[in-house]
This record gives sequence, C-alpha cells and structure tokens, in this order.
Amino acid sequence: MDSFYYVNIFETKGLEYLLLLCFWGLFIYLVLYLKSPANKGKD
Amino acid sequence: MNKEAVVYASFGNFFRFLIQEMKPRGPWFTPFNVISIPIILIGVIILYFRFVYGLGSVVNLSQEVPWGLWKGLNVVTGVALAGGAYVITFVVYVMKVDKYHSIVRITVLNGFMAYTFYAGALLLDLGRPWFGYNPYIGNSFGFSSILFLICWHFLLYMLAAFIEFSPAVAEWMHWEKARKFLASLTLATVILGITLSLLHQSGLGALYLMAKTKIHPLWWSEFIPIQFFVSSVYAGLAMIIVEGTISHRVFKNFMEPNSHRSFEDIVLGLAKGAAITMFVYYFFKALLFIHEKQWELLNDGFGLWFLLEVIGFVLIPALMFAFGFKHKSVKVIKIAAVMALIGILLNRLNISIICFNWYADVRYFPSWQEFIVSMTVVFVQIWVFRWVVTRMPVLSSNHQHT
Repeated sequence: MDSFYYVNIFETKGLEYLLLLCFWGLFIYLVLYLKSPANKGKD
Repeated sequence: MNKEAVVYASFGNFFRFLIQEMKPRGPWFTPFNVISIPIILIGVIILYFRFVYGLGSVVNLSQEVPWGLWKGLNVVTGVALAGGAYVITFVVYVMKVDKYHSIVRITVLNGFMAYTFYAGALLLDLGRPWFGYNPYIGNSFGFSSILFLICWHFLLYMLAAFIEFSPAVAEWMHWEKARKFLASLTLATVILGITLSLLHQSGLGALYLMAKTKIHPLWWSEFIPIQFFVSSVYAGLAMIIVEGTISHRVFKNFMEPNSHRSFEDIVLGLAKGAAITMFVYYFFKALLFIHEKQWELLNDGFGLWFLLEVIGFVLIPALMFAFGFKHKSVKVIKIAAVMALIGILLNRLNISIICFNWYADVRYFPSWQEFIVSMTVVFVQIWVFRWVVTRMPVLSSNHQHT
C-alpha cells in the first residue's frame, strides 16, 4: 500500500484545472442564457 | 461697419452670450443644493487651511500612510467609475453599435469631468503641489516610473475626452465650421482614448504592485493591473446605468418624450455586458485565490470582508444583471448596478486604505476634513456637470452624429 497515495487537490494544480473547466462550462451557459431576453416579466 | 467694429461686435455678442449662460436656471431650493452648498463652503475653508498651514494641518496621513482618502476615493475609485466613457465609445465608434449613440455625449462628459476633477484633486494631496510637474518630465523617478505613465495618460486622456465632447461645445456656441472639424477628429481621439484608458486603468493597479508587503495577501496579486482594468469595464457600465437613471429624473425636461423607452433598451444591453464582465472577473479572482492557496486567510475578519466583497458585491450583482436582462427587469438591473458600484468602492478602498498596512497597531482613519474635501470635489463636479448638461446639447438625441 506504500505505493498508493491520495493526491491532495489543495496542493496541486488540480483544483485550478477544475475551476477553469467550471468557468468555461458556466461561461458558455451564461452566454446562451443571455442570448436574448425572455418576453415576460416586464417592469 | 469696418472690419474692427465687426470683430468688437462679435466679441461683445460672445461675452453677452457667456454671461447669459452663466446665470443660474431652475429653482435654488432643492435638496441637492441644500446639502451640497454648505459642504462646498466648508470644504473651501478647509482647503484654505491646507494650502496655508500645510497638508498635516487637515489630514491624518503620515510617513507610513502617505496615501489616504483623497487618493483612495477620488483618484483610484473615481477613475474606475469613469471607465464607462471608453467602453461606450469603443462600442459605438469601433464596434458600430448605434443603439448606444444617444448616451455617448453624457458618458464622455462624465468621464471628462471625472478625470479633470479627480486628477485635479491629486494636487490637493501633494505636499508641494508646485512640483506637480515632476512626474511629467520624469524627474527624480525617471521614465520607468508608473506615475510617469499615469500622469501622461491622465493628461492625454483628458485632452482626448475633451475633443470627443467638443462638437457639443461647438454646437452650443453655434460654430458650425468648428463643429465639423472637431467631429472629424472623433474616431482618432476615440481610438487614442481607448488605448490610454486600457493602460492607465491597469496602471493605477500597477501602482500597488510594489506594496506587496503592505497590502493584505487576499487583495494583493501580481495581476492587480488586469483586475483593475477588467473591473473598470463593469464599473463604467454600472455607473452609466445609475447616472442615466438619475439624469432621467433630474433632466427629464431636456429629453425627448420617448427617450424613456430607448433608455430601458440601453440599460438591458449594458446589463448584459456587465453580467459577462463581472462573471469573468469573479472567476479570475477565484482562480487567483486558489492558485495562491489562501484558504487559511479566510478564517479571520479580513477573510470574511474579502468574501463579502467578492461574493456579495461581485457574484450576486453579476447574477442579478443576468436575471434582470433575461426577464427585462430594469428595477433588478438598477439595484445590481448600485451593488456593483459599492463593490468597486470596497475593492479600491480595501487595496488603498482598509487593507493597506493591515498589520499595523495604529491604523489610518481619515480626518473629518478629508471626508469634507472628498465630498466637496464630488459636489463641485456635479455642479459643473449639471451646468453643462442644462446648457449644451448633451441629452437631446437629435444632435448631429459625430
């Protein structure tokens, strides 16, 4: 078992890659969401 | 009539016109006047003491904290809020989005006023203001100094913004030939203005790069210049929304009846831009936070303060902008704009004052005179802004496209 160890995500760049993946996923969703306003709920 | 007499007569008409325009219009007894006039008067008295008895007689600054409220609020924050001018001119003149043309003049005027007053306010903060030309000639600190870049950029940007606005002045003076000539300079000055803005918005952030040991690590990063630039984009957009809302109320007599509807369309477009920019800015902050492994820093008061700024006044208004755009809710967008402005104010004050020398036993807190002078600068700017808007063709949408 000595050869196996958990990667500490807080000490590697793993978390940064995950964040960037989240960013691009959410960014694409945001751009699609903002493509056009809905035709309801006007003030 | 001979030539000389014609010249004298035209000068006479010109001065009569100016004197006529200088006369106050509208009611004097308004809430804004009642609040601003006493503050301006007290501010002038304080400035008299500042220049006669020196900076130390009115401010709480020291050798350890040489930059206080006047720079943190008026210069660092004010310039960010003036970012709308370069964003809108870029969208209208470079991207050719004509929808925003009606707000170009008022936005450029706001930017010009902000730079004039806030860069001018720097002179109040210099111990020896008569040496204020030193950064311009690269004296003492040389040409590689960031202040050298910022001072020149401020000066050139003020000129560029004035030329961008000058067709309105020419229209006001009925100088048709001058208007045509000045209008022909618009595109060139817009491109110059955008270039200068990109550099000095980030340059203001770069001023703090050398203060690594003094600024709390949650706010200091080698990417401060990029953060300052990106945040100035949405700060400018939010400022246009807030300022436009106030202008629509205060200057409604100077607008056309259907301008309310077109302003709502403009607000929706600005909200979309602000939502995307704030979203990018938020993730950039998050990436820097994770990259620097700053989890432990969240455990104290500064950590909570950081979370309040980043989540409360960046992420939440970004989502509100997106929601407001999608559901055409101008009310939500306006609230989001105010929150975004508070976020910018917090960010700039955190970097320049609140989290500066954060470990020191004795912290800097501005004197009441500093608060009054800061408010004086803002109020005088609003007075001049109001004077220009009520006299020159700034808000009417039928002015000739420049």
